[in-house]
Formats: sequence, structure tokens, C-alpha cells
Amino acid sequence: GRRKRARARHKPCELRELEVSVSDLGLGYESDETVLFRYCSGTCEASVRSYDLSLKSMRSRRRIRKEKVRARPCCRPLAYDDDVSFLDAYNRYYTVNELSAKECGCV
Amino acid sequence: VPSSLPPCAAPIPDEMLRSLAGPPAPGGQDPRGWRVPVDCVRANELCAAEPSCSSRYRTLRQCLAGRDRNTMLANKECQAALEVLQESPLYDCRCKRGMKKELQCLQIYWSIHLGLTEGEEFYEASPYEPVTSRLSDIFRLASIFSGMDPATTSRSNHCLDAAKACNLNDNCKRLRSGYISTCSRELSASEPCSRRKCHKALRQFFDRVPGEFTFRLLFCSCRDQACAERRRQTIVPSCSYEDKEKPNCLDLRSTCRTDHLCRSRLADFHTNCQATFQSLTSCPGDNYQACLGSYAGLIGFDMTPNYVDASTTSITISPWCSCRGSGNLEEECEKFLQDFTENPCLRNAIQAFGNGTDVNLSPKNPSPPVTAAPKAEKSPALPDDVNDSNTMYDTSIITTCTSIQEQGLKPNKSKEQSLCYSETQLTTDMMPDQKTFVDQKAGGSRHRAGWILLLVPILLLGPGL
Repeated sequence: GRRKRARARHKPCELRELEVSVSDLGLGYESDETVLFRYCSGTCEASVRSYDLSLKSMRSRRRIRKEKVRARPCCRPLAYDDDVSFLDAYNRYYTVNELSAKECGCV
Repeated sequence: VPSSLPPCAAPIPDEMLRSLAGPPAPGGQDPRGWRVPVDCVRANELCAAEPSCSSRYRTLRQCLAGRDRNTMLANKECQAALEVLQESPLYDCRCKRGMKKELQCLQIYWSIHLGLTEGEEFYEASPYEPVTSRLSDIFRLASIFSGMDPATTSRSNHCLDAAKACNLNDNCKRLRSGYISTCSRELSASEPCSRRKCHKALRQFFDRVPGEFTFRLLFCSCRDQACAERRRQTIVPSCSYEDKEKPNCLDLRSTCRTDHLCRSRLADFHTNCQATFQSLTSCPGDNYQACLGSYAGLIGFDMTPNYVDASTTSITISPWCSCRGSGNLEEECEKFLQDFTENPCLRNAIQAFGNGTDVNLSPKNPSPPVTAAPKAEKSPALPDDVNDSNTMYDTSIITTCTSIQEQGLKPNKSKEQSLCYSETQLTTDMMPDQKTFVDQKAGGSRHRAGWILLLVPILLLGPGL
């Protein structure tokens, strides 16, 4: 179990998907309609650049102290999916854009 | 003229000669099989490759431009052209719904057939090829999707399931969102939406998305009102269906008949959904799929039909029109309207689809021809209408005709507008910062999740340091 979990955690950054109800999206819409939610998940170890190592070094040498910096590439959507429209519980139509990821990458 | 001759055209004149020499086979059902219905764009090419055909066709088009049938037939040259063309592949040609150059195909079809019909006929023959697949084909495909949630078959909302199936398919989701956003986008206080764009987006949805998705959305069966209301809302009726005023149904039909596409879809509906007492199901050839397909084919035109209310017990369908103000045509108007409101074929087809039942036919005759044969027997009988003195044709007609033809054939190159809404603000305001997103989630599990998220970078940083 543990080894399997560890391996899963080290999966590289990729697109995954979930079937979720619109209400569960937490955007304030009330609708039982199910949509496909695609998200980016995985690690970005392979994408560490000299930039990240240097930034880390600057931080550990306290050359950068107060600013919020990120010294690790991050698995994020590179492009978003097309719009998603749905009918809510009050029979009104809504359209949400950039809800779902289309392509993932380490940035 | 022979410029449009295809490079590999050697066998065509032969084919043409044979079809010209052969006995007239009006239904295109020649037993020898060499007069299979060809699409009208292709038939037009065949005709263009043959000088006598192409010149007759040009004459006929000039005859028809802006003239009614009687005026046209009073001209000998026009009569002769029509008679010759009845022997050509143009006469039997049909179009396919959603085909490339559909409008061009229909223009060619009607350019011949408007001369053949008596003009204002109640029912017109469909210019579309008969539907050969059956409802069961759709069920077979739809069952793949219903298999996704086996627990919720008995008490579920079928219309909600249909929306789910569509949302989980990229193509269906994209085109559904396309028409929903177009049809629900408010333009101004006085204009709730662009009906023209909404209709176009609906046509794209119903033409390009397979029936196993679109039929499920349109014809889902309902037990409660919420479901039936969702079904009624499928086509965004506030924009695509309802209007400030309800026109008279015969006026609406006239409007529809001025448009080649609307006219064709209406003729197709009448061909495939016209109630008949000769079959068990009341449908022509017991073909439910053909009826449902031509019903869906009307959506996005002036004759767009919809459920009139959210009733679960009785299904009533109607276009947005009434028979008020029919004058002495009250009876004809009622007859026209009842093909929607009280049509046993249409009702049976919708219910059969909702229940997942199709007519069981022996597999040996899976596709009885449904399209009514064009009225061939009456066309050569050209009336000697001498009363009509308007027989003088001159060459000035030619320019009118070709300019109309060219206008009609011009492809609509308006680009699909990009989809951008007020929701943009909503989502971008909420999504970019993950903190806002997490804070909205309630419950203690979030803290644990947070700890794991904090641990992960530490573990990952380990080897790097």
C-alpha cells in the first residue's frame, strides 16, 4: 500500500479527470448536472532549472528574505478547455469558461 | 460549360445515355439498379457534362426565376425543358442532411421540383434521402452511456442523465455549450438574445452531434415536472422558440417555404412523421427514427417545434403559431397545426424513444423506403392554361435568375463568434488564487489535506538539498 502510494505521488505532471456535479464545483451554482472536471496533477522534478536551484540558494543565504518566491516548478494548466454550459435548479442557463484544464505543464 | 467536367469523367456520358434511354423510373427504385438516387450536387455535375441537359437546365432555371408554375408552363420552351429534365439524373436526385453543400444541393432540388408541384401543396415530398437506420441503432449506442450509472435507472431523471452523457462527450459538450451560451446571451434590454445566431448554433448542434446524444436530450421520458421542464428547456425556448407575438401557422409556413432549408426540413417532417393508418405505429414504414430525425431537423428554423408545457402525462408539441386570424383557411390551418399537436406518429415515436422500445421488424427488411415518391404521374400533364397571357419571356430574365442563384449559393462566411460572458469575471475572480478556493471549502478534512500539501514539498525537497 505504502509503496504504491509513494509511486502514485511521484507521477509526473499530467491531466486527470473527475466527474463532478456542478454544485460541487463550489462556484455558487445550484445544479445537479454532471460535468467533466479535468485538472493538472503530478510532480515537476524533471523540470527543475538552474533558476530554481539558484533561487533556492539565494533564499537559504538569506539574500531573499521578505518576498514570496517559488523555487520549484509547478504543475498547472497550460490551456483551458472550452466553455461549459448547464441548466441550474431554477431553469436558468449558465456558461462558465476556463473551468477545466486542457493541457498541463510544469511552469 | 464543360469546365466543371471532372477529370475522370469518361464513363459519365455512358451512364447518362443509359439513364436517358431507359424508361422513366420516378421513384429512383429501378430494379436493375443503375438509377440509384444520386445527390443533386453530383447530378448537377453529370448534367453539366452533357450539353443538351445543361442547356435545358439553364433554361428551366431562367423560367422558374420569379414566376409561378402556371406562368412558367405557358411558355413552350420552359415546358420542353422540364420534360427533358425529367429524364435526367437531376430529376431523381436527393440531398443528405448535414452534407457538404447542403444548401446548394437543396437549391438544385427545388429548382426542378418547384416546377413539378402545383405550387402551394399541403404536403411536399422530402428532398432528403430516406433514413435507413433504425431507432435500435441509437439505443445500442446510448446503452454505452446509460451503463455508466447502473444504480440510478429506476428513479433517475432521464433528462439529467442525457445532459450528463452530453457533458462527458467533448463534441456534444462543446456544441451544446455553443448554442446555450449564444441563445442565453443578452444583447440589450430590448433584445434578450440574437435569435438568428441562436438558431444557427442550434442547427449546428443537431446537424453535427449524433442522435444518441441529441435524441436523449430532446425526447427523454419524465415522471416529474422538474424533468419535463428541463426537457422543455433543451432548446432554450425563451430565445429560439417564443416570440412577442404568435403568428398564424399558415403565414409561418409561407415564411418557411421561402427558405430552401426550412422548406426542405418541413417537407421532410411531413414525409416521415405524417400519421398513417396503414401501420401499427401510425408512422410511415413504422420508422420512428426517421420521424424523430426530421423533427430534430426543424429546430433552428422558423418552424422550430417544442413542448408547449412541462406536463409529464401528455406530450404536446407545437411550433410557435396559432390558427387565430386564419379567415376562410381555418380548416387548413388546423390541419397543419394538428400534424404537430395531435400527431399519433410523432407522439408514439417520442414515447417509444423515452421507453427505450423500438418496433420489432424482421431483420430481412430493415429499411422500407420512407420518402414519398415525387409526384411523377401528374407532372407531364401540362395544363394548357391560355388564360395566362403573361407568356412573353425575354433575355432579361436570365440576369435576374443568375444573380439570385449566385446570391443564394454564396457561402456564409461569418466566423463563429468567440464565446465570452459575464461569468468570465466570476471565474477569474475566484480561480487564480488557490487560497480563496480552499477557504470556501468547509469541513475539517481541509486541514488534513493542507498538512499533506505542506509535507509534500518537504519530502520532495529532501533529495535536492
